[in-house]
Amino acid sequence: MKLKYLYIVIFSVLLFSTTIVLQTNEVASSYNLVSKQSLYTAGDPIELQFSFTGNSEVYLYCSNSYGSVILNPIVKNFQLSFSIPQSISKKSGVLNWQLVSDKKELSGQIKMQPKAKINSIESYLGPPSIEAGGTDFTMLVVIPTDDLDNPLMDSTKVAIKHQYLTNQTTSDVFTEHGFGYHNIYSETESGRILISSESLDLNSKEYDVNVVPAIPTNFVITSERIHNYADGNQITTFRTSVLRDRFDNIVSDGTFVTFFITNKDGYKSKTSGATINGIATAKLLQPDREDQWTIKAYVEGMANSNTIVLNYKQAVEDFDVTFSEDKRSITIGPLKSFMNQHVPDGMRVHLSVYKNNVLESETIEHSLNGIATFYLNPDRFPKGIYELALSAAGITKKFTEVRYE
Amino acid sequence: MSKVNKTILRSLLLLSYVVIIALVIYGFGALYSYLNTGADRSKMLHTEVKQVDQYLPELEWAPLANEGRPMDQQTLTAIGNDYLDAWYVKHVAYKTNTQKGLDDYYTKSARQNIFNIIAFNTENKTTIDATTLEHHPTLEFFSEDGQLAVLTDHNVIEYKRISKDEKLVSEINEKVSYKVTLLLEDGFWRIRHLVKLTSEPYLKVTNKKRLKVTDIKGINYYPQANPWDMFGDHFDTDIITEDLDIIKNSGLNSIRIFVPYESFGKSSVDKIRLKQLIKVLDLADAKNLKVMVTLFDFYGDYSVLDWTLTQRHAKIIINALKDHNALSSWDIKNEPNLDFESRGEQLVTAWLDKMVDFVQSQDPNHAVTIGWSNAKSASILKDKLDVVSFHYYEDLDQLETTYKTLKTNIKDRPIVITEFGVSSYSGLWNPFGDSEDDQADYHKTIQSIFSENDIQFMSWTLYDFDNIPKEVVGRLPWRQNAQKHFGFIDKNGAKKGAFEFISN
Repeated sequence: MKLKYLYIVIFSVLLFSTTIVLQTNEVASSYNLVSKQSLYTAGDPIELQFSFTGNSEVYLYCSNSYGSVILNPIVKNFQLSFSIPQSISKKSGVLNWQLVSDKKELSGQIKMQPKAKINSIESYLGPPSIEAGGTDFTMLVVIPTDDLDNPLMDSTKVAIKHQYLTNQTTSDVFTEHGFGYHNIYSETESGRILISSESLDLNSKEYDVNVVPAIPTNFVITSERIHNYADGNQITTFRTSVLRDRFDNIVSDGTFVTFFITNKDGYKSKTSGATINGIATAKLLQPDREDQWTIKAYVEGMANSNTIVLNYKQAVEDFDVTFSEDKRSITIGPLKSFMNQHVPDGMRVHLSVYKNNVLESETIEHSLNGIATFYLNPDRFPKGIYELALSAAGITKKFTEVRYE
Repeated sequence: MSKVNKTILRSLLLLSYVVIIALVIYGFGALYSYLNTGADRSKMLHTEVKQVDQYLPELEWAPLANEGRPMDQQTLTAIGNDYLDAWYVKHVAYKTNTQKGLDDYYTKSARQNIFNIIAFNTENKTTIDATTLEHHPTLEFFSEDGQLAVLTDHNVIEYKRISKDEKLVSEINEKVSYKVTLLLEDGFWRIRHLVKLTSEPYLKVTNKKRLKVTDIKGINYYPQANPWDMFGDHFDTDIITEDLDIIKNSGLNSIRIFVPYESFGKSSVDKIRLKQLIKVLDLADAKNLKVMVTLFDFYGDYSVLDWTLTQRHAKIIINALKDHNALSSWDIKNEPNLDFESRGEQLVTAWLDKMVDFVQSQDPNHAVTIGWSNAKSASILKDKLDVVSFHYYEDLDQLETTYKTLKTNIKDRPIVITEFGVSSYSGLWNPFGDSEDDQADYHKTIQSIFSENDIQFMSWTLYDFDNIPKEVVGRLPWRQNAQKHFGFIDKNGAKKGAFEFISN
């Protein structure tokens, strides 16, 4: 009989204990979020608290805009408490979390607002130079940020100010997607625009944008020379009028002007210069024989000048040619210029040697003190009959039947 | 006796002399040819471009309607590439808790935020192995000077595996949207601001109609001469046509073929092989045979950062085949449960899970299955798949029970046995193996079980093979030899006894 009671006792204890075990198993995984605040300001200390029963070996997964972390709880008074580290809580945007336990997932999110106080206005300005005329513009992009480098809330007002000549303008823009922008158009005059911005009583530094003149309009050229003789020595200077754009701004220094010169035979030469204060100058050596130049200048693809014509008179009227006894040394000159002065050193004299009407050799010498000398070497020009043609300053003299022994 | 010894000694001396001389000549020859190989002239200027695909999540730009300067395609591509690279270096940084590469893709103040988190994670021994699978950016703004861009990246599909003390703590699936401000610095589009807009747990729920496959009577197919390597230089349409003829005439209606991941060029799929694959389907279509295409053969990496590359591979192949009349279904991978031990069951399953979603999103019109190597694994991911398939190489007595147990577990999906068979090898390495008659008996029995229980099947395999690549069963001769004799037709082309029972 005693045994029977003992059995009953043992049996009931067993039954009871298994029920307890079953109960604890069921209770073991219940977690509830206690802290209900779901809106914080970046940088605020955040504690997430959960009431729980059972297993406290859980983690909190927590993720912000830049990355994720895993947190261990601090357990006190049957509460799990997770303190979110600064590296996560200082960035604005959604901060989502998930309680990692062996039971059903518990997750949620907190909205992190940027601070209301501004710390800096990030400004991006470009392009740095624009063209005058009111169609070209530069753009200022501003990102007002708090001291934790978060862009401020959308619809933050930013005043964008710019000064140009006598005008000062302020435009209000409201941020969207974290930034605001404003286009600043040029006016018809070239110069420099000064730009700054202001938001929540914080002023940015000063930015500037150059307004450069537009492309040049057509212009006029003039020439200048010491004399109008074709002495092959003096230099003719070409000069443009002041190059201006269509709003009367003097074009930027360094605008490249090319002068095309066509001589009376139709050959073309070119010389060029860059503008300083709107005027470009270029130079060219005068011809060494009578000629007529037609000159026109271009800023390529943009503008061109009128055409001017220059005449050059013959400077050297005639010259003497003397042969040595063996006729192998030939002296030309003295070459005399328009006042019978010796021509400046360096006038070109050209000798062509023919044999049986076939060109044998061509030689060029330059005058020195008005004289040019050729020597025809017997090794190169052996015994025979040659024809010589000498030319300088556009005058040619021919000697047929020059006989070398 | 001593005379014989002397002769042996002499011949040994002579032989060793010959060997030594041969070695010396070989040594000089090797040295000479080494000294004669120099740098290739064409490589002197380092003009070749080495670009390796590392990260290719789906990137889909919304139609351009941005404020500010009009965007051109080239810049948009540059922004997209650098933006994805920024994600990649961030994943690597959090995986390894190092700062490598971040300087190039985050501005000085932005990268500080990542450094802080890395420092925290290093201290807490946390590593995060993450990837993103989809990006849907909208360009909001492009500045006039082309130096600043703002975009909203909608519904980024993120997957993270978080480990603490090298133990997996949690898997996170999220759908997140970001606002991103990028600056062009030093030729890189660098992230200046990143703000998370929304975040929600993400689990893909497919409500689509389940696709059924019915009445599969098929066979796993490789040509006799080049098993596991049917594409590439040895691809021969004549042989395949003949083989498909044999299959068709034997009363079967389907084949199962394999697309090896690496030899198909990984994320940049080889065009020639892809054409050959389409050709196989064309040939099958001509014979009125259906094809189950098994993807990712010989793939074994599964690492989270590799996922986007595998998805790109699948995308190219699926889009090339999905409208083909001969295509019956997709097998994601052959016997992935064999990788559980080496790669971890959870990682492999996670990859399969994502890949099933991806394949179904790319081709909603064809059934998707996974070719599990045994019936035990066949319940894994069963709710995602259209068709459950497994391979059966165990005892025939158990087949009916196994199948019926599985059937009670999986009521609403067709179950297909996509591999079964027995080797008729008995020889030096396995003297007690099955003979060709045993093989015929096996197929006779199994076909009667199939008929009785109405089981769809695909047998292994048409031919006996001469060469088995070592990647399949290793180098051990008893495995190699067994694998060579699973065919219905022997290597000389003669039909074995089992051929009679190839179908029911």
